[in-house]
Amino acid sequence: MSITLYLGCVIKALYPEVEKAIKEVLERMGVNFEEPKDASCCAPLGFFSLNRDAWLRLNERNMRLFQDTVVTACDDCFASLNDAFKIVSENKGIKAPEVKPFGKFMLENLENRGLRFSFKGLRCTVQHSCHFLRPARGMDDAENPRVVKSVLEKLGYLPVSYDGELDCCGGLAFEERVREMLARRKAEALEKSGADCVVSTCSHCMRQLRAVSRLPILHLAQLSALSMGANPEEIGVPDMLLRRMVKP
Amino acid sequence: MINRLRERGAGNFLKCIQCGSCTSACIVNVVEEEFNPRKIIGSIVRFNKFPDQDPWLCSACLLCVERCPQGVNPFSIIVSLRTIRYENGNALPNKVIELIEQVKKTGLAFSLSKEVEEKRKLLGLPGFGLSEEGLSEVRRILLEAGV
Repeated sequence: MSITLYLGCVIKALYPEVEKAIKEVLERMGVNFEEPKDASCCAPLGFFSLNRDAWLRLNERNMRLFQDTVVTACDDCFASLNDAFKIVSENKGIKAPEVKPFGKFMLENLENRGLRFSFKGLRCTVQHSCHFLRPARGMDDAENPRVVKSVLEKLGYLPVSYDGELDCCGGLAFEERVREMLARRKAEALEKSGADCVVSTCSHCMRQLRAVSRLPILHLAQLSALSMGANPEEIGVPDMLLRRMVKP
Repeated sequence: MINRLRERGAGNFLKCIQCGSCTSACIVNVVEEEFNPRKIIGSIVRFNKFPDQDPWLCSACLLCVERCPQGVNPFSIIVSLRTIRYENGNALPNKVIELIEQVKKTGLAFSLSKEVEEKRKLLGLPGFGLSEEGLSEVRRILLEAGV
């Protein structure tokens, strides 16, 4: 299988450990990937709010650099690319690449034989990405999301539910007061869940929650790579979680 | 006003029955009561008046879009209002300006710190950033689109 990997600006610039983890996972799954050096920002809401033309044209340019399947590391990039490609494709009659968010890609392609370790008993809460779930695109149940939890179960982790699971963390709020209040509210809900760590597939959620939460905030790729035997230090998994590691 | 909103992507707002599903779904309304999507749409469809509320308070969670029984897409109205406010000369939030300036400068929304640059090398990750040629294409698109 050959894909285009689109990491997104936040992961590339701020979270090299997540980039490393995703690449470890793809390599261990035997997926050939390329990253077009010249792909630009997917221009999500900041632009979109102001200039639809810029959003569509930047992504038409991105589209021409991509292979038939694009895997995104950040669900906000997924939403922006996916929705822009559909519009460009309809307007111009060009075939759009299929955009797969990392969680969905894992659910469809993960085979258990690649797993080297299990973490039975490691309790994970999921920070669901607003822009993966909504507007509903038929990829997950928008009111009772299962995709990321199912991947965690397949990997041998224990996903735990909590009150306020669908609530937005405020990661894409532009008004400082709203941003802070939503982050605090979400951090409290996550801590009350009794989980050992929080799992996300959106780089804005990760950024927002890492600033306020006492729990480790991990990308799904970090836990996936860990189960496949990647070096925990390189993929940024804290020691406190490794104590739970057992042979499958 | 209705045409101005429609031209900027606001969808289907005349179907609004003011039921309040959007406000009931709105997480920002929980922490900031003055922000009320039902009233924002009400101001437009009932009073023909641009709402006073700041559309930038919305956190873009899109739960209102999911829950609206009329298929109104309240978020598209928020976005159109942001655009109109900008066109009317209102300042953008600093965070938005920063993101736009960064994309104009580098083609990407965030820049690399020295620390991350070192870590990327250590992990054997590839170089960061667009080629000169790629960047000039991005800048041309932004210029032509009026960003």
